Amino acid sequence: MGRYHRPLALADALATLAGGPATVVAGGTDVFPARLGRPFAEDVLDITGITALKGIGLDGGWLRIGALATWSELAQAPLPPWLDGIRRAAREVGGVQIQNAGTVVGNLCNASPAADGVPSLLALDAEVELASSAGLRRIPVAEFVLGNRRTARRPEELATALLIPEPGPGARSSFEKLGARRYLVISIAMAAAVLEPAADGTVGRIRVAVGACGPVARRLPALEAALRGLPLGPDLAGTVTPAHLDGLSPIDDVRGTAEYRREAALVLVRRAIRTLTEQA
Amino acid sequence: MIAKPAIPDVLREPGPGIGKPLSRVDGPLKVTGQARYAAEFNVPGLVHGYIVSSTITKGRITRIDTAAALRRPGVLHVFTHENRPHVAWFDRKWKDEDAPSGSPFRPLYDDRIVHAMQPVALVVAETFEAAREGARLVQVEYEAEPHETDLAARRHEAFTPGKEKGGFEPPPKPRGDPDRALAEAAVKVDVEYVQPTEHHNPMEMHGSTVVYNDDGTLTVHDKTQGAPNSHSWVCSVFGLSKSAVRVISPFVGGAFGSGLRPQHQLFMAVMAALQLKRSVRVELSRPQMFTFGHRPPTIQRVALGAAPDGTLQAMIHEAVQESSQFENYVEIVVNWSGQQYRCDNVRLDYKLARLDVFTPLDMRAPGAATGVPAIEMAMDELAHALRMDPVELRLRNYTDRDPNQDKPFSSKELRACFAQGAERFGWSRRNPQPRSMREGRQLIGWGVASGVWDAMQGQADARATLGIDGHLVVASATADIGTGTYTVMSQIAAGTLGLPIGNVTFKLGDSALPMAPIEGGSWTVSSVGSAVLAACERVRGRLYKLAAKMEGAPLGKAKPADMVLTDGHVALAADPARRVPIAEVMRSGGVLAIEEEARSVPYYVKRAQHTLATHSAVFAEVRVDEDLGTVQVSRIVSAVAAGRIINPKTAGSQVMGGVVMGIGMALEEETFMDHGLGRYMNHDLAEYHVPVNADIGSIDVIFVDEHDEVVNPLGAKGVGEIGIVGVPAAIANAVFHATGVRVRELPITLDKVLAGLSRRSAA
Amino acid sequence: MAEAEFSTLVEVSLRVNGERVSRRVEARRHLIDFLRLDLGLTGSHAGCEHGVCGACTVRVDGEIVRGCLTLAAQLDGADVWTIEGLSDTGEVRDLQQAFVARNALQCGYCTPGMLATCADLLERSPAPSRAEIREHISGNYCRCTGYEAIIDAVETVAAARRAATGQVAIGQATIGETAE
Repeated sequence: MGRYHRPLALADALATLAGGPATVVAGGTDVFPARLGRPFAEDVLDITGITALKGIGLDGGWLRIGALATWSELAQAPLPPWLDGIRRAAREVGGVQIQNAGTVVGNLCNASPAADGVPSLLALDAEVELASSAGLRRIPVAEFVLGNRRTARRPEELATALLIPEPGPGARSSFEKLGARRYLVISIAMAAAVLEPAADGTVGRIRVAVGACGPVARRLPALEAALRGLPLGPDLAGTVTPAHLDGLSPIDDVRGTAEYRREAALVLVRRAIRTLTEQA
Repeated sequence: MIAKPAIPDVLREPGPGIGKPLSRVDGPLKVTGQARYAAEFNVPGLVHGYIVSSTITKGRITRIDTAAALRRPGVLHVFTHENRPHVAWFDRKWKDEDAPSGSPFRPLYDDRIVHAMQPVALVVAETFEAAREGARLVQVEYEAEPHETDLAARRHEAFTPGKEKGGFEPPPKPRGDPDRALAEAAVKVDVEYVQPTEHHNPMEMHGSTVVYNDDGTLTVHDKTQGAPNSHSWVCSVFGLSKSAVRVISPFVGGAFGSGLRPQHQLFMAVMAALQLKRSVRVELSRPQMFTFGHRPPTIQRVALGAAPDGTLQAMIHEAVQESSQFENYVEIVVNWSGQQYRCDNVRLDYKLARLDVFTPLDMRAPGAATGVPAIEMAMDELAHALRMDPVELRLRNYTDRDPNQDKPFSSKELRACFAQGAERFGWSRRNPQPRSMREGRQLIGWGVASGVWDAMQGQADARATLGIDGHLVVASATADIGTGTYTVMSQIAAGTLGLPIGNVTFKLGDSALPMAPIEGGSWTVSSVGSAVLAACERVRGRLYKLAAKMEGAPLGKAKPADMVLTDGHVALAADPARRVPIAEVMRSGGVLAIEEEARSVPYYVKRAQHTLATHSAVFAEVRVDEDLGTVQVSRIVSAVAAGRIINPKTAGSQVMGGVVMGIGMALEEETFMDHGLGRYMNHDLAEYHVPVNADIGSIDVIFVDEHDEVVNPLGAKGVGEIGIVGVPAAIANAVFHATGVRVRELPITLDKVLAGLSRRSAA
Repeated sequence: MAEAEFSTLVEVSLRVNGERVSRRVEARRHLIDFLRLDLGLTGSHAGCEHGVCGACTVRVDGEIVRGCLTLAAQLDGADVWTIEGLSDTGEVRDLQQAFVARNALQCGYCTPGMLATCADLLERSPAPSRAEIREHISGNYCRCTGYEAIIDAVETVAAARRAATGQVAIGQATIGETAE
């Protein structure tokens, strides 16, 4: 049976990880449900005592979300409108009790294909900060999530924060989630979009990502390119075509068929873009 | 038993009598967290058991290795079929009150595996966690055999069951020539409906805490809908005398039928306690809550033929339903169709298919919640084909006699349900054309369906004890699974003896109390309520006799027939101002307490001459997202005729709860079977969807006045089931009205709706 | 720094319902089991064991969380409130009264968790709409009541609290019987 560690200092946590692999627990909202009472054969590293990992704040052009920052903290923090999308996602993760305990970083590290936070993080060009006894490194979220439950985190590393670059002026974001019921539901499909408008009222840069339609959430580069330069108006959402979603690889499961997911993703992407144009 | 903790005075309230919306008397204990459920009785030295579930669906165990589990610190013992103590051999010893015919399942009996996740071992340990981890370490090897769990694959090998259990009526013989009438009908529908497996999923998982007393007797805290049922089953299975076991179940965290039969945890905890001579608790995990019974999947064909004016000319309703290999589970599925509508050419047919699953188990409105949605969706399809209002079609074929039995109904105010429900809902403003209402991308639809359920009654006993202090204790071994038994029985007792509700204590959930049947099928008010009434009437009779013997004023020479009980006094009916306090009457008679026990027996003769049923008319409004297929039920009006309503507040709550379970049935609830593995895939609460609060719109319940002198002395029929029955079809019909898409396979999930919408726009 | 075999005992010191509690607890023991088994506080219930149903909702450091997804060992130094404590202080009495008056409970199993969540909502949002109430408490299943009465109860209490601004306790007179 594994050992249970609850260090109060980051260095101690990293030392533990340097000594051998451990399951990292913060809010526990993914770790424990996945086990349903199955004992831990491996070591457990509980990071909830490390106060240095708390907090959310803007710093030098980056928003930093600490590894212990919960969804509720993200939803309630005074943040600029370009984070509206991920804050909406924050309010759709599980229920309030889950949002109070579950962390944004943990949601990413758990690497579920249906992780509610990941489409927004992709659309925001977020990066993950990874710490180990050897030092720090940062990699884009797009390179961090490798597959279903697989990430680029090395066993000796701890994800200590998410870093989101501040976008251009007037930027805004949106998020759409679809589940088989209105709340407390694992997503069938999700879409997130971030827009940086051009000065002339057209799309400057736009980033769109879809989740739960493949082993990892994905950006839609063909769509992003096609939208660039188009006028920001009610017709913009209608320019999204099924072909723009070709990169997705949804599956059949108890929550919905692949075919349904594909159709739903198209609707959600259009709605996410419509929301952006209506925010103007 | 349960110590009565101090409740803040402010939570108490004086109560009005029968028919008044009294607040539940168990409310204060429940809102303060003091109501204790079966797995909450902590006793010194308590040990914990955890069940090991089989990983195959069918076959036999070839080897069980418990060594690793036993090495785990804290693990005390591992029970398997190889080392279990002696238990009963004959099938009849394993029968409980709700058992159908067949050979009841026996946990850890032998090496046979007959369903997925069958219990194969029990690990008992000093702590819950050690038991749970020990369970992971029990190594079981199997020899698997091919299984079949797909109803569609066995539907043509189905058989016609007999009268497999009390309360079940096989379908009546065919009337007329339904096939020919159908062929000749001007307008017809002939369609198939599919319903999935559902699981009860009460919020509380099944648990039993068995206290091993110093004298070797057992006090069993069980989650059950009938303490006497658990009691007699335990005694029978383990060969114990009745006095060696007492089953207590004062609070039950919901059941909906899951507690009608003794479940695995009860057997396991009793077995371990007897063997280890320790107090033992066994609680099922949520996945294990999917291993002991369910609403069975059903495939139904409904064919209706009608004249152009809507008169039904042919009705065929055939159902094939899942049962297990070892018992013939039956419920009334198709009979309702022939009972609800007048038609001369009718064939009703009900068959069972044996599959490698656990025996299904009554779940709220068993049979009716399956069969009535089928006929009520078909009636909607027929109304659409006839271009006729669906309420009008139902009234056109309305019947005041039960055509199945050719008997009158004891009472049937279904017409009033339709009228009052339609009025409240605003049905007259409905445009019959599908897709005629929308708001933006939301399509809006209105649907209607009727509901029906039996008004049953069983024998029950109750004891009433009136103390000279004016406090009345009434007791019966029935259950309160949240339904309101405590409250309603207190109300009946208080009303009968003219006492404030605060003077009444009702005791239930204890096998040592006067006998009562399992709480189910909406028959508890009828059965136990009648017994409470009878016992209290006997107490009243004795009070009157004592009062008649009192010398002098104020009652004078009054005879019992001239007296009434009111406000804690015996009074003259003709002049209630002339009265004597009950305590004074008892004192003058030299008694400190009056105790009476009574058995209620149904009005067998009157009942045999009638069909007794509750009815409802349900109106639903849905909003369907045209792009995504999501369905939101924005409004439900349910008008119910259920005889006299003892407590509109608790009864209304029953119906609302039934409505939400009906919304679940219509839109969300489904236990998916992986037929390759023969195992349920979504056996947890994350993936087995029940409605959450945000799924619900407004719910409006109407109780229609209904007078019934046949059903029982109270005139009350019970409301536990009727709330759900009409709801799934009303919603399905509303979805059709909104979208023009007919989904005939429940639940109506968004992908089915969207597929229908896509097909529609392609066509 | 706590470090232990997952099955061996860890020292935790916390406040439960205002009282200081120090216990040696197995590292693998979840908060809900700690409350129910070690402390005998059985008012918090377990319904799904994996963070969905909300029956185990308790307040930790001012926020409601799922007791089944939290280890007791994680709560060293924490401030935990359960239905027993919330009842004793009278903090949720008006909600409790409204739940009883509106029949916002049947079997009662979800009720303590539901009350904790409703109290949390009213603390944050004194005038919630029905839709806001529904959303906030959607992480708490109720299988019995049909939810409607729960919304009614919360709405009633919110209105009464607003009417009695400044007062902590609400008298019975403000919570009427429902006319069915």
